[in-house]
Amino acid sequence: MLIRTPKDWELPESAATPESLYHLSKRRDFLKALGVAGAALATRELLAATAGFPSKVNAAYRDPALKPTAYEHITSYNNFYEFGTDKAEPKVLANRGWKTEPWTVEVTGMVNNPLKLDVNEVVEKMGGAEQRVYRLRCVEAWSMVVPWDGFQLSKLIALADPKSEAKFVKFTTFLDKKSAPGQRQGNLDYPYVEGLRVDEAMNELSFIATGIYGKPIPNQNGAPLRLVVPWKYGFKCIKSIVKIELTDKQPRNTWQVLQASEYGFYANVNPTVDHPRWTQASERVIGGGLGRQKTLMFNGYEAQVASLYKGMDLKKNY
Amino acid sequence: MAILEKLLRSKRVVWTLLVSPGLWPLWPIFVSKNPSVTADPFKHVLHHLGFVACIVLAIVLSFSPLRALWPKWGVAQALNRHRRLVGVAAFVYAALHLTTHLLYEGGFALAAIPVTLKTALDKPFQLTGLIAFTILLVLAVTSMNSVIKWLGGKLWKNIHRLAYVAAGLAAYHQAAARKLFPMQVVWIFGPLVILEIARIWQQRQPKPGV
Repeated sequence: MLIRTPKDWELPESAATPESLYHLSKRRDFLKALGVAGAALATRELLAATAGFPSKVNAAYRDPALKPTAYEHITSYNNFYEFGTDKAEPKVLANRGWKTEPWTVEVTGMVNNPLKLDVNEVVEKMGGAEQRVYRLRCVEAWSMVVPWDGFQLSKLIALADPKSEAKFVKFTTFLDKKSAPGQRQGNLDYPYVEGLRVDEAMNELSFIATGIYGKPIPNQNGAPLRLVVPWKYGFKCIKSIVKIELTDKQPRNTWQVLQASEYGFYANVNPTVDHPRWTQASERVIGGGLGRQKTLMFNGYEAQVASLYKGMDLKKNY
Repeated sequence: MAILEKLLRSKRVVWTLLVSPGLWPLWPIFVSKNPSVTADPFKHVLHHLGFVACIVLAIVLSFSPLRALWPKWGVAQALNRHRRLVGVAAFVYAALHLTTHLLYEGGFALAAIPVTLKTALDKPFQLTGLIAFTILLVLAVTSMNSVIKWLGGKLWKNIHRLAYVAAGLAAYHQAAARKLFPMQVVWIFGPLVILEIARIWQQRQPKPGV
């Protein structure tokens, strides 16, 4: 018989729902719903922007050895250049009137069944959210462990029924210069674009996150839905997606456009290939002490993804 | 202006001005407990110390062109009394920055130090910082009275012109630390470049009465 001692970071299942309801209760919409239109609308509002999907923990993707990073660090240490280049800025600037609900996302391009759906409909169609605990390794050589809520990307792509000539998936972020100061400055080539090969996108690990720690994903982390590909550097995990496009051409991702010598298309976590300015052999742990931990090949997901790159020169295809 | 001049003549004031920016990170780490900083406090300290080192270096190099351009200006005179102190402070900040880097990379393991330094060799971003530090180290060591005497004024002066090389390397190092070009490099080193151009331009003017 297995006697399992819960770790101090593990939330009991019962804690998740009240927590998200608590979050909801702070929303103006919810108050409005309660006051004006009664119970029916309130129920609908509960579903707003993926807030009302208490996620079930997927034990297959919860390595007990992984210690999740504190919620406040995950949500305060962000690279989201649309809202400033400093790690502290997105938390402030992405919450100054930028609206992430309602939010429409489309799956288009080389598909038989193009979709254009409200983000809540998407989550409903995916059968609700599940929680997976993944490592996140930034190209800047720091790492976190994040309990993401969301769904497997392959389910959404399958729903759109890709055509056989589709070889790549191109993801595009919102473009809203009024709300996003970084887009006004043009610090990068906006809208932010990322891409995967179709087989990478269909891998079991590829995930669309709509929440963190059972709460709706905060704006600074890429509300209302972002990509999570844990074996790649963090910049591949495009935030606040509006368009997912199946294509036969390899997309030029934003960081590759800016500096192709430093950021490639694949961006697989690889301790043997250094960044031109720093080593990738080890990483700083967010919320950890001094020193570093060794970076793992494919960020520890070699078993799941190594076969995707068989025979490829990973030094060239960085 | 007279008050400013008087204040800047005081060693105690200059010491306070030099030490306080180094203490600044204590605030977000221990007092306001800013979660963006506590996520990786050592990185914050590392970047902050490098930032202060660049500023102090740019400031101390501006002293002599300020005096050359405005020889009768009391503030410029006052500042030039502290050239050695401020210059050594730039070195101390650079040394603290490098020490933090070594700890940040390797923890307290001494064996990690050569590994960390070796990683720097093939990366211009890190190598420029390391060379700039080495120059400042040489300048700090040769700033003791006995060494100045031993070297002789002319040789000493030539060696200390290396400070400009260190500033150039530091500016590159600071710019390369970020993924996008940081404008702070221009604010920090831009005024120095302008002052130096003005000094050179002034030196080329024919002297009155000759």
